Amino acid sequence: MDRELLIEIGTEELPASWLPGLTRQFGEHIAARLGALRIPPDGPVETYSTPRRLAARVARMPERQADVEELLTGPAVAAAFKPTGEPTPAAAGFARKHGVGVDALERVETPKGPYLAYRRRERGRATADVLPDLLGAVLRDMAFPKQMHWDAVLDDGRGELTFGRPIRWILFLYGGRVVPFAIGRSEAARSGLVQEVRSAAVTYGHRFLATSGRAGRAIKVRSFDEYRARLVENFVLLERAERHDKIARELDAHAQRLGGRVSSAAAVQSGLLDEVPDLVEYPSVVAGTFAPEFLSLPEEVLTTTMIHHQHFFPVVSATGRLMPAFLAVTNTQADGSRTIARNCERVLAARLRDAQFFFEADRRTRLEDRVPVLSTVLFHKKVGSYGAKAARLERLARHCAAAAFGRPDVADQAATAGRLAKADLVTDMVRELTELQGAMGGIYARAEGLPEPIWRAIYHHYLPAAPEADAPPSRADLGEAAVTWAALSVADKLDTLVASFAGGERPTGTRDPYGLRRQAHGLLKVLVDLPELAGIGAPVDLDALRRRARALLDECAEPGHAAPAASPAEEADLTTFLEERLRFLFQQRGFAYDEINAVAGARRAFTGDPHDARLRLEAIRLVRPSPDFEALAVAFKRVKNLSRELRVEPIETLDRLAEPAELALLEEFRTRGGLVRQAAARRDYAEAFRLAAGFRPAVDRFFTDVFVMVDDAALRDQRLTLVWRLHELVVELADISEIVSQLELNR
Amino acid sequence: MTFQDLILKLSAFWAAHGCLIQQPIDLEVGAGTSHVETFLRVLGPRPWSVAYVQPSRRPDDGRFGENPNRLFKHHQFQVILKPAPDEVQQTYLESLEACGIDPRQHDIRFEEDNWESPTLGAWGIGWQVMLDGQEITQFTYFQQVGGIDLSPVSAEITYGLERIAMFLQKVDSVYDLEWAPGVSYRDVRLRDEIEQSKYAFGQVNMPREAFVALHRELFDRHHAFARTLLDSGLVLPAYEQCLKCSHLFNVLDSAGGVGVTERTAYILKVRQLAVGVAQAYLQTTAPGAPEEASDR
Repeated sequence: MDRELLIEIGTEELPASWLPGLTRQFGEHIAARLGALRIPPDGPVETYSTPRRLAARVARMPERQADVEELLTGPAVAAAFKPTGEPTPAAAGFARKHGVGVDALERVETPKGPYLAYRRRERGRATADVLPDLLGAVLRDMAFPKQMHWDAVLDDGRGELTFGRPIRWILFLYGGRVVPFAIGRSEAARSGLVQEVRSAAVTYGHRFLATSGRAGRAIKVRSFDEYRARLVENFVLLERAERHDKIARELDAHAQRLGGRVSSAAAVQSGLLDEVPDLVEYPSVVAGTFAPEFLSLPEEVLTTTMIHHQHFFPVVSATGRLMPAFLAVTNTQADGSRTIARNCERVLAARLRDAQFFFEADRRTRLEDRVPVLSTVLFHKKVGSYGAKAARLERLARHCAAAAFGRPDVADQAATAGRLAKADLVTDMVRELTELQGAMGGIYARAEGLPEPIWRAIYHHYLPAAPEADAPPSRADLGEAAVTWAALSVADKLDTLVASFAGGERPTGTRDPYGLRRQAHGLLKVLVDLPELAGIGAPVDLDALRRRARALLDECAEPGHAAPAASPAEEADLTTFLEERLRFLFQQRGFAYDEINAVAGARRAFTGDPHDARLRLEAIRLVRPSPDFEALAVAFKRVKNLSRELRVEPIETLDRLAEPAELALLEEFRTRGGLVRQAAARRDYAEAFRLAAGFRPAVDRFFTDVFVMVDDAALRDQRLTLVWRLHELVVELADISEIVSQLELNR
Repeated sequence: MTFQDLILKLSAFWAAHGCLIQQPIDLEVGAGTSHVETFLRVLGPRPWSVAYVQPSRRPDDGRFGENPNRLFKHHQFQVILKPAPDEVQQTYLESLEACGIDPRQHDIRFEEDNWESPTLGAWGIGWQVMLDGQEITQFTYFQQVGGIDLSPVSAEITYGLERIAMFLQKVDSVYDLEWAPGVSYRDVRLRDEIEQSKYAFGQVNMPREAFVALHRELFDRHHAFARTLLDSGLVLPAYEQCLKCSHLFNVLDSAGGVGVTERTAYILKVRQLAVGVAQAYLQTTAPGAPEEASDR
C-alpha cells in the first residue's frame, strides 16, 4: 500500500519576498532527493507555505526503495592472474573490498578488453527507514538570500545548519507515523531554554487566534487532510491562492463601501497585492481614512507613503482621483472592531504629517542651491560623489541634445535638467521616501516655476526601467519634454554605466549591486525607440557618446579624486555587456536568435546605433518569408567562406573574368549593388534586403558554372575579389549567413 | 500608562524573566547596542541576560522640537538574551501584554528588517515588529559584532519607548506624552531637543569651518587616545573613547562637515577601533585569562 508523506518546517517569520522562491525550492529539493533515494513519488510534490511554515505533501509514496543492481569493474583480466593462474594482489584486493572471493567475480568485455567485475545487488530498504536522511539533505539544500546562524547542528558530519530563520518545530509524517528526525543545538547554546528540535505529529496554528482552546498551542495531526482542516480552525489559510483571493475580495468590498475602488495601477505595479499574501496567515482587510487636507500633498507622496511604507492600498474614486481613504491587510480576524483601523489611521496621519513637514521645509531651498551639497553624497567609491555626477550630467545631457540628437535648441534645457536631476537626493522627502527620487525633483522643479521640459525631464529621468516597447514613460507622459527627457535619461544611464565600469564594477551572474543591467536596458530602450519616444529619427552614434562620457570622468573629477585610468579592457567589457543587453532587449521583443545574430554580426554598428539595429531586424523579419531571401541566406554561407580565401588585397580591376556566369554576377554586382547601397543609405533596409535577395539567380549560376579556386593565382584572386565584394556589400547590413533557413531545416 | 510606568513594567517583566537590570551607559550613544552590556557581553561563550533603558542620540534626526515624531534623543528599552531562547518571540509578545497590549485585539507582525552597524562592525538578522502598522520594536539575532562571528547567537530586543507610549496614550505628538502624572514629555525634554538640534546642525556662534575643525580635532584626539588605552590593555576605557569618536562623527556628519570619501574613512576608523576592542576583550576573557574587574 502506498502511503502519504507530510513535512512541515515550522519557522519564525520568513521574509515575504523569499516565500515564493523558498516554497518552489522546497518542493524541487524534496523531489530530487526522493529520486536520489530511489523512492520516486507517485505524483507531484505539493507545496504550501505561510510566513511561519514551509510544507510539502506527497499523496502516495512507494513503501520501499527500488532495488539496485550495478556492475563494478575491477582490474583487467590480463592483470588479474599470475601465469600460475593464481589471482594477483590487484584481483584479490578488489574481491576483498566487496567482501567476496575472486571466483565470485564476473568477466566483462570492455573496449579495452576483458575485465573482472563485481555485480552488486542491494535490496531496497523500507521507505520509513530512509526518510530521516531525506529531510537533513533537503534542509542543507535550501538556499537563502541571506543565511542565518542560529546555533543549530545536524549529525550528518557537516556540523552547523544555517537557515533563513530559526526552525521551531518539525511535522514529519509518513503513513500517519512520525519519522524520527532532530536538529541538534551547538555546545555554546544548549541549555534549558535552547533545545533540540524533534520531529513530531504536531503543528501550530495562528499565534493569537483559535476557534477553541488556547491560541498557539500544539495541535496533533495524522494526515494532510486533518492538517489542513485543523489549520483552518486555527486561523491559518495554508494555500496562498486562498489568502490572495480573500484579500482581493475584501479589498473590493471595502472599496465599494467607501464609494471608490482600489487603484489597480498602484496595487499591481507596486507588487503590493503580490506581497501581502506572504505577510499573513489569516488575512482580513480593514478600512481607514485620513484628513482630506493631506490631499494637497503630491499624489506620488501619498501613494508611496501608503504602499511602500505601510503596505496600505490607496483608494481612488470612479474618475481615478485619490480619495482620503486606505485599506490595510491585517493578520487577524476582522471582528468589526475599529481599534486596528483607528491605530492604522494614526500611523498614516503621523507619516503624512511628516511628509507635509518635509514638503514645506524642502521647498524653502531651491534645487539649484542643493547642487553643492551633492558633493557630500557618495556615488561610487572609486569615481566620486554625486556632485561630480551632476557636473558630468550637465555637460553630457547638453552634448546628447545638441550633438547626438541634433537638437541644439533644447541643449540649454537639457543641461539645466542634468545639473538639477540629482538635487532631490539631498531633500528630506527623498531621504525618507527614496522611491520618489526623480519624481520629487520634478515636483519641486515645477513648484519653483522651472519650464515644463525641465521639470518633466527630471521627473521621469530614472525611466525607463525595463526594455519592453511599452515600458513607461509614454510619449503622452513626456509631452513637450520628450527630447530634453531623452537627452537626460540617456546621459544619466550612460554616465552610470561608464563610471561604474571605470570603477571596476562588472555585473556577474546574480550579482549586480548597482543595477547596471537595468541601467543598460533603460539606455538601450530609449535609443532603440527614439523616434517613438522623442520624434528623433536621425542616427545616434552611441560609441561617440560613450567616448564623451568617459572623457567627462576626467574633466569633471573632484580635487584629490582622480578618475580611474581608462583601459582597452574596460571599453571592451562595456561593449560586450551592452551587446548582451541589446540582444536580450531584442529577444524580449520577439526577434529570433538567428536574426539577432545576423544583425549583431554586421559591419554596421550594433550597439553603436541601437535604433539602426532595430530597423535592420524589422527589415529582415519583413523580407524573410520570400523564398529568394532564404535561398540567398543559404548561398551566403558559401560566399562567406569563400571570401575568406582571399589572402591578398582586393583586386582593383577584374579584367580576367570571362566566363558568362561570372560576368553576369559582376554586372549584377555593379547595377544591383549600387541600388542596395542607395536603399541602405536611405535606411530603407527592407528594400535593401529585397534587392539583395535578387542576387540569388546570379549567385547560384556562378557557383554552378565557375570553379573559383583555379591554379592561376591572378584569375583566382579576381574571382575571390568578386565574391568578397559581394559579401562585403551584404554583410555591411547583416551577416545573413547566420539566418537558419527553413530550406536547411527541412532538408 | 505613563512613560515612566512603561519603563517600570518592562523592567519588572524582564527582571522576572532572569534579566539583570542595568543602567544606561553614561556616554553619548546612538543606540542601546553601543552599551558595553550589549557590545561586549554578546562576545564569547558566557551566557548573559540583561535589560536597560538607553537614551539614544541621533544628531541627524534632530528637528528643533518642531516635529511630533522625530527626536534628537529618544529612549530605547534594550534586552539582550544570550543564548537566544527558543521561546524568545513568545516571551516578547507576553511583555507587550504586560504593558497592556492584548495581541488578540491588534495586528502584530514580524516583518523582515535586518540590522547593521558599519561603525561597530556588527550585523544581525531579524524583524521590525509592527503593531497596527506602527513599528514598535527592532528584533535582531546578532550574527557578528566587532567583526567577530558570534557563538552562541544573542537575541536583541529594542523597544522604541516613545512609539509604544504614544500608542498606549493615543497622542499624536511625542511632546504630549505623559511622562509621569501631571508631567509631560514636553516639560521634561523640549528645551533639550531645541538646543541639541541647533548644536547638531552647527548653529553655533562660530564659523562653520571652525565648528567642523573643532570636531575633527576632537575626533582625532579621542581616536589617538583610544589607541593608547588599547595598547595599555585598558579595553573598557578604550571602548569609551571609541564611542566618543562614533558620536563626534555623527555630529560632523549631520553638520555637513564630512566629505564623501572622508565619510567612508571615518566609518572605517571607528570600526577598526571597535574591532580592536572586541578582539582584545575576547582575548582577555578567554579561559585562563585573568577575570576582568567588572565581572560579577
